[in-house]
Amino acid sequence: MFYRTMKARASGIFLLVATLLLLFSGQLAAQDFGAGQRGNAPPTPKTPREAAPKDFTGYWVSVVTERWRYRMVMPDKNDFPFVPLNPEGRKVADSWDPAKDQASGNECKSYAAPVIMQVPGRVHIYWQDDSTLRVDTDSGTQTRLFHFGSAAPQTDPATWQGYSVASWQGDERVDTRDGQGGPIQDPTGKLIPGRTMHQADYLKVVTTHLRPGYVQKNGIPYSANAMLEEDFDTFADPYTNNTWLTVTAVVTDPQYLIEPLFMHSHFKKLPDNSGWDPTPCRANEPR
Amino acid sequence: MKALWFLPLLLLLPSRLAWAQADILGEWSPRVYNDGVDIGDYTGIPLNDAGRLRAESWHPDQIDLPENMCRPHPIDIGLRVSVSQLRITPELDPETKQQIGYHLLVSWQEPEQVIYTDGRPHPSANAPHKWSGFSTGHWEGNTLVYTTDHLKEAYLTRTGVPRSSKSTVTTRIHRYGNYLNVTFIINDPAYLTEPYIREYSWVYNPDQVIPPFPCEMTPDGTIIPAGTVPNYLPGKNDVLFDFANEYGIPHEAALGGAETTYPEYIKKMKTMKIAPRTTTTHYKRGG
Repeated sequence: MFYRTMKARASGIFLLVATLLLLFSGQLAAQDFGAGQRGNAPPTPKTPREAAPKDFTGYWVSVVTERWRYRMVMPDKNDFPFVPLNPEGRKVADSWDPAKDQASGNECKSYAAPVIMQVPGRVHIYWQDDSTLRVDTDSGTQTRLFHFGSAAPQTDPATWQGYSVASWQGDERVDTRDGQGGPIQDPTGKLIPGRTMHQADYLKVVTTHLRPGYVQKNGIPYSANAMLEEDFDTFADPYTNNTWLTVTAVVTDPQYLIEPLFMHSHFKKLPDNSGWDPTPCRANEPR
Repeated sequence: MKALWFLPLLLLLPSRLAWAQADILGEWSPRVYNDGVDIGDYTGIPLNDAGRLRAESWHPDQIDLPENMCRPHPIDIGLRVSVSQLRITPELDPETKQQIGYHLLVSWQEPEQVIYTDGRPHPSANAPHKWSGFSTGHWEGNTLVYTTDHLKEAYLTRTGVPRSSKSTVTTRIHRYGNYLNVTFIINDPAYLTEPYIREYSWVYNPDQVIPPFPCEMTPDGTIIPAGTVPNYLPGKNDVLFDFANEYGIPHEAALGGAETTYPEYIKKMKTMKIAPRTTTTHYKRGG
């Protein structure tokens, strides 16, 4: 009898401790993502560099597995079947003349921010300071600056690379399900209000103040009103242990596009700068 | 019985687990760029010689064989090469109604895929292979990562580039705001020399309606003489280089291979022979 009582107590204590540990661990995890919302003391501010959820720095080489014939060779004039151009955009694309761009000093039109990550080549990503991530490209010898925590200055002149505002992002949601399709309830059946989750795990970059250029090498235009939204992610390849960088670009342009244009580019991480091959902007070369 | 007082506390656990997931459920409208729609266009694919031989023997009339008419694309291909409205719903255990994964449905030919996230193992290597294989996944931050094996042999493009039944596909689904990105890394020891990465995007579209996709086979011998399998014997494919000639691409480059996906290959192509162009207005034929 005594043995059975002790056994029951021991298992009860074990289960109580296990339950509290589970609940407490969930509480701790939640605090990382939403401490500020629950009135706790705000954590010590981190610089964007310290807060980076992933390491995007290093040398990367593009791997052109998509849109190959628009990127690895010069595409023909008027060849843009998958670009949602409006009639005005088509008209501008129809007038593309690389010799004219060359003569007028506008060869960097096809190396501007909306398209530079599509141009085959190598990129070097590094922290210029604690809140500025810098991207140098060997193709076209361009530099992009991703500014964390600052809005684009209204007075900045338009440039090929524009002004890029960066932030660490994760999905934010109000959780209203319990994993079974129903609302979250406490043990008494009372509904638990949804909470916002923030779990930064990718880099978002929004670029404006762009000098008009091309979204494709063969003169497909974007205007000064265009906005470029990019999502950067990095992960390990389970088959080769290569590290990949993926960039999803969405170009919105009320002047030349009837809907946003999506483009993807992929890069493989390199151990060093071998193969770095700086080239000037060229209107009649793929890179 | 006294030791069971803690059980109501366990009801809180599912809500905490749910916080670790981004919301990928719902209706998604495709923003897809479709490569490889021409015979002989293997650009950007790290094909090996065996894969190239299989691809070269593919004849477009094979689509009219009764066994191929309603053959579904596996989901990794179907999301790319067809009208690919996508619906993602929770997969529930039929007995407990607990969520055990995700269910993907694609419009064209209505292939479906279940991604189990309940930790179950993959079946034995001898288990049957299916069009959409067997998938298990987990969350890495806000990205649903899943691995698919037990796939039937299928295609990487609409024009016969093969993917073997030995292939494994790692898929990453990430939601960026109202965009959904799906990245596929296809590893095929039979036909590829290195993993092949592809990425597609969708836009959240809660009002989307995916229509039924009825498909009916015509009897054997109706379109293709019964007992015939259209094909090209090795070296006898007389349309193999039409794509390369049309776009001004060296023949060797159009046939793919890992080397062709890197920027250095642009220089190499300058040393290659290019056949006289057959047209520079191919865009007029649509597609």
